[in-house]
Amino acid sequence: MDLTMKRRTALSLLAAAPATSALRAFAQGTVGAGLTYGMSTGVVTLDPVHGSYTGYPGGSEAALCVYDGLLTFAPDMKIVPQLAESWSMADDLKSCTLKLRGGARFHDGTPVDPAAVKLNIERLMDKQRNPTNRPLWDPVAGVETPDGNTIILRLSQPFPQLANSLAHVSGALVSPAAIEKYGDTGIAKNPVGAGPYRVVSFDPGQQLVLEAFDGYWGGKAKTTKLTLKTIADPSTRIAALRTSAADIVDSVPVALTAQLKQDPEVTLIATPGLRPIGFVINLTRPDLSDLRVRQALNLAVPVETIANKVFFGHARAPDSPLAFNTEGYASVAKLVHDPAKAKALLVSAGFTSDKPLELAMFVSQGLFPGDVSVGEIVANALTQVGVKVEITKIEAGSYWDAMRQDQANIKWDIAMFGFNPANASGLYHLASLFKSNKDDTARPDVWNLGRYRNAEVDRLLAEIGAEPDRAKAAADMAKAQALIWNEDPYIWLQINENVSAVRKAVTGVEVWPVLFTNVRHAAA
Amino acid sequence: MLSLVLWRLALIPLTVLGVVTILFLIFKAVPGDEATMVAGATATQAEIDVVRHQLGLDRPLFVQYADRVLGLARGDLGYSATFRGNPLPRILERVPATLLLTASAILLTVAAGIPAGILAASWRGRWPDIAVSGGVVALLAVPNFWLGMMLMALFSVRLGWLPSIGLTGPASLVMPTVALAARLIALVGRLVRGTVIEEQRKDYVRTAYAKGLATPRVLYRHVLRNALVPIVTVVGLQTGYLLGGSVVVERLFAWPGIGDLLLTAVGLRDFTLVQGITILFVVGFLLINLLVEILYRLINPRLR
Repeated sequence: MDLTMKRRTALSLLAAAPATSALRAFAQGTVGAGLTYGMSTGVVTLDPVHGSYTGYPGGSEAALCVYDGLLTFAPDMKIVPQLAESWSMADDLKSCTLKLRGGARFHDGTPVDPAAVKLNIERLMDKQRNPTNRPLWDPVAGVETPDGNTIILRLSQPFPQLANSLAHVSGALVSPAAIEKYGDTGIAKNPVGAGPYRVVSFDPGQQLVLEAFDGYWGGKAKTTKLTLKTIADPSTRIAALRTSAADIVDSVPVALTAQLKQDPEVTLIATPGLRPIGFVINLTRPDLSDLRVRQALNLAVPVETIANKVFFGHARAPDSPLAFNTEGYASVAKLVHDPAKAKALLVSAGFTSDKPLELAMFVSQGLFPGDVSVGEIVANALTQVGVKVEITKIEAGSYWDAMRQDQANIKWDIAMFGFNPANASGLYHLASLFKSNKDDTARPDVWNLGRYRNAEVDRLLAEIGAEPDRAKAAADMAKAQALIWNEDPYIWLQINENVSAVRKAVTGVEVWPVLFTNVRHAAA
Repeated sequence: MLSLVLWRLALIPLTVLGVVTILFLIFKAVPGDEATMVAGATATQAEIDVVRHQLGLDRPLFVQYADRVLGLARGDLGYSATFRGNPLPRILERVPATLLLTASAILLTVAAGIPAGILAASWRGRWPDIAVSGGVVALLAVPNFWLGMMLMALFSVRLGWLPSIGLTGPASLVMPTVALAARLIALVGRLVRGTVIEEQRKDYVRTAYAKGLATPRVLYRHVLRNALVPIVTVVGLQTGYLLGGSVVVERLFAWPGIGDLLLTAVGLRDFTLVQGITILFVVGFLLINLLVEILYRLINPRLR
């Protein structure tokens, strides 16, 4: 009995040896067949208008491979020419002249000419067709095409950030012939652009298979076949990367980065984002309109601890209302953690242990990185300086609604919030968050949730928008940031890094501060 | 029998109508606004209003409800913002992957659970029984997503035997099937063990032995046949659970089925899509119940 068992075991082991190597080969069968990007969000539609690309940031990342725009962003968010060879704003900032690169073609052979650009810009301008991204396109009033490679964009108001709009992913150019062929809404499923990759097959929400476009004006892409595959679960994405089922993955949870760093086959790519996270303070509440109280709240929070312990160093405390890579960013002052001073300030504002400051805190669940943990740390830190905090956690899907109420329905004193300026413009960011609302009792116009109001900031923001002298505009941006920063309308917390990971052999993957993992230059 | 099947099939549309009504009411009652989600996080109020109008969400509730129900009768689930139109084709193309996973999980359950139960019952109190019972407790205690993660860590990442994601071939079916079926295997194993032990005490078994029949013949010909009724019930009812479990397992293994699509739809707050998938789950559940009832009558002569 004993002997037969042993013999059997040995036999089965012998039989198993080739079988396992076959299995291994089968499991890794995707290697060598181009590159696969395992993305956290699926690619569902690929039309720059009609609600833009569904599934953020996945749709935009796919758009970066399929489409080219007139301008684009370099990885550091500097604006660089793409299908336009050059561009220049008029001195009054009310028009922009672009020269097209000659010889560029869409995937279906249609030439990229001024008529194609005109059709695309007019689609973007149309409010019915393009209800989203309005601040980017509203100032554009008309398109003129005086000759075979010139485009003049007329603007209804001075709009220095036009270049940011043109470089934004929604500024992608679609083949007019394809719009004709598939219909105005059909392009979402049959995208035809002038980018380095053309679409081979598209299963919305599952995968998008691309191949290098032979006729790309910038030369054929190095990777012949690029597959964008949805892998929504973070641990599965990591497993896929480690088993070579994916060569590139995005949105690596910071808790798993330490483990991945140990893997010699994997390289991490981390880039600080553009979205400073903080607690917006309800300034309509009398207690909180006292600057000393807001200073105390900021002094009470251990921002370094949050960056290092919650985010394992993949976050940094901000030193301005804008994130470090935003256009127009200027450093104002480092955040200080000083609970003793916070206590003293609260006492001077009239809050004691008998009559403590009471705050209702709103925190989202799963909307911002580590939101609940960060909320609890902040609540704890505030409690330690004598503030009574009541936390309300709100499911991600209904958070925006809970936040954007008219004044009578603001149920929070402090609420977690972060704004991601997708066009990387600091002016757009500041104006969205800190420009006075027309009417503070109504719903906020954009995202000035705390009802911040500073006439000097409003004046500066309006002037920067119309300022032709870029040095003067930059100085005014710095001034506006200092004014806002020193008034503490937020409890400032952290700017997170976007972390992606690639197989060692993969090069050319960029992680943009705007949250995009750009794989259009990926090669192995 | 035929009248039963027809009657049950006729009830399905009524049930679906009830489900649609309940879903409609729930989605209107929960906080969170579809137009806000579609317009995107940085949209202004004016942009949201345009989207709300385009989605028809500014119409009176009963108009929206009537629109839903009438559309459904034509096979139109409504406007899915994710897919920019009727999502039905997109849902249907995901069905085969889920059916494949569910079917293989049931097969595995039957193939592993029943023999394990018989083994434990025939070696009652001895080591095979202890091993099976221990396994049952372990499998019941382990959540399927955790089991899936562990399988993936071992067989994909460490050993490299099985593909970690997607539906790429027979090998890719192994881990999702095991993760999905684990709990059901345990339930069936335990049930078979209990039923077989129970049946073995009965008179007809003693009679069979008295006739001089060998143990395997008694077991398979007589005991198992009688034990089959509760087993079919449990497997049938639990198939519904498998549909639910597929949501978690499909997401974990990036399996291109409807469970994964459901999670995506919830994340994007695409109510139309969520509703469509839910209706499909309900219809699937009703059909499975019908199938179980038919099977029931086939194996239990008393019900014929």
